Amino acid sequence: MKNTFAVIYSLLFILISSVIYSQTNNYKFESSIHAYGELHFNQEKAANKPIKQILDFHRFVTFIGFTWDDNWSFHSEVELEHNYVEDDAGELEIEQAYINYHYRDWMGFQFGVVLPSVGLINEIHEPPTFFGVERPDYNTRIIPTTWFGNGMAVYGRINSFDYKLTIMEGLNSDKFSESNAIRDGRRKGFKSDAKNPLYNLRVDYLGFMNLKIGGSFTYNKAYGDTSSNKIYLYELHARYQSNTIDAAFEYGVINYEKYNLQRSEGFYVDLGYNISELLNWQTKVIPFVRFSDYNTAAKTRTGGDSEKRNHFTYWMAGISIKPLDNIVFKFDYGIRTRELGNEKVKLLNIGMGYMF
Amino acid sequence: MKIFLSILFLLLNIGIKEDCEKLLINIFGNNVKTEFLKYDIAPELKNKIEQECRQRFIRNYVYVWKIYDNNKHIATAFLDDVYGKSLPITFLVIFDLNGKILDTEIIKYRESYGNAVQEKNWLNQFKGKDASSKFKTGDDISSISGATISANSVSAGIKKLSKLYSYIKDEL
Repeated sequence: MKNTFAVIYSLLFILISSVIYSQTNNYKFESSIHAYGELHFNQEKAANKPIKQILDFHRFVTFIGFTWDDNWSFHSEVELEHNYVEDDAGELEIEQAYINYHYRDWMGFQFGVVLPSVGLINEIHEPPTFFGVERPDYNTRIIPTTWFGNGMAVYGRINSFDYKLTIMEGLNSDKFSESNAIRDGRRKGFKSDAKNPLYNLRVDYLGFMNLKIGGSFTYNKAYGDTSSNKIYLYELHARYQSNTIDAAFEYGVINYEKYNLQRSEGFYVDLGYNISELLNWQTKVIPFVRFSDYNTAAKTRTGGDSEKRNHFTYWMAGISIKPLDNIVFKFDYGIRTRELGNEKVKLLNIGMGYMF
Repeated sequence: MKIFLSILFLLLNIGIKEDCEKLLINIFGNNVKTEFLKYDIAPELKNKIEQECRQRFIRNYVYVWKIYDNNKHIATAFLDDVYGKSLPITFLVIFDLNGKILDTEIIKYRESYGNAVQEKNWLNQFKGKDASSKFKTGDDISSISGATISANSVSAGIKKLSKLYSYIKDEL
């Protein structure tokens, strides 16, 4: 196990070195720049508490890429969060930085800072691609998007099955918690632990028109300075997009080997309808509803309040307006309820997002 | 190991041009003959099509195959590229003599996601369309979950070739 990365890198090096006879090169050197960003207004209103209102340029992201030839390319994604970085405020992160070797449709390789393929949002998270101003709570609390780390991946498509196997840095088990599940255990590529790799395999079926359906499994024997803990993350996801209907579903569960926290679990369902065709508008106008239910402490050994304190349900209704496919204006309103004490928070969000 | 490497070597020697010609034989049968040529697009025509389709050509030319059955010209295929999220997608569009699309195929997809544009049931939507069609995802072409950029890009790319064919068919 200790030498997993070394062995895999060596095998891949031998394989790729042996096949650099290269095909007909169709391209000259090319660089590319892409980006996305999002501005949010967030309002939170809870009983007996002052209203919170925040205006936040949440993410400013640039992608820089370079193509050497038909097979070899480089991809990177650098993200500035909250517009400013100082001490604990804001974040500057390299979320992707990898060399891609695209051998054939059925197999390609990535080496560098990579994204595990977990759920619908972790790899594809540009604002025009999902409903709601903020990413779904499920994709923050159960699936810790954006989840990235140092490692490698093998991907491909065989008939209508699309797969990706990622082997990357492990998690820090000291930072698992009942309120945040595995989220704080991400090492984000900072001198990460190479002894206990995380394994992630995702398979999607793309053969149904308008529908993507699949699932993934992630395993890691996580280590920290004072603990170790195996985690098993299973998730299922589906997205249906026709010219009028846009629906998504994700369900995920994390099982823990030991300590008090035994399971984190959640799901959400989105249903949107593009009304622009009915009104004969060029601008896409898509009202939607979402229901989420998630509990980062779904099962604990001691039971009790923690299982209720960390259990939320969230009803949301909103609208996405897209004058162009790559520009979106969003609005949503919802009520999030904590099971313990039936505490309700009313949330209103307005946002703008772009990608190119 | 040697056998494995030999098989890989053989597989790698199949190039894009060969892939296209093999595909044309698969579609039209062994008896057809093909004539390969490179077509340089005049700058004014290129600009005109780019404005109509809101997408630029990556190069100033396209590759063309004229397909003959018993010495009779029956169809024409264009090979071009569009950018997906960051890498080019190479695709082939085959037109009948009236400019209607007979078939479309992704010849090479280079990115690790968004590859659902290669699905035949999505590509089949383009059959029968011509230069007067909209080619708009979310309208006459279905969007694809997780492949928004590739789907938009390929649709616009096919529209460009349909327009190009309609303008140059008499020269071919």
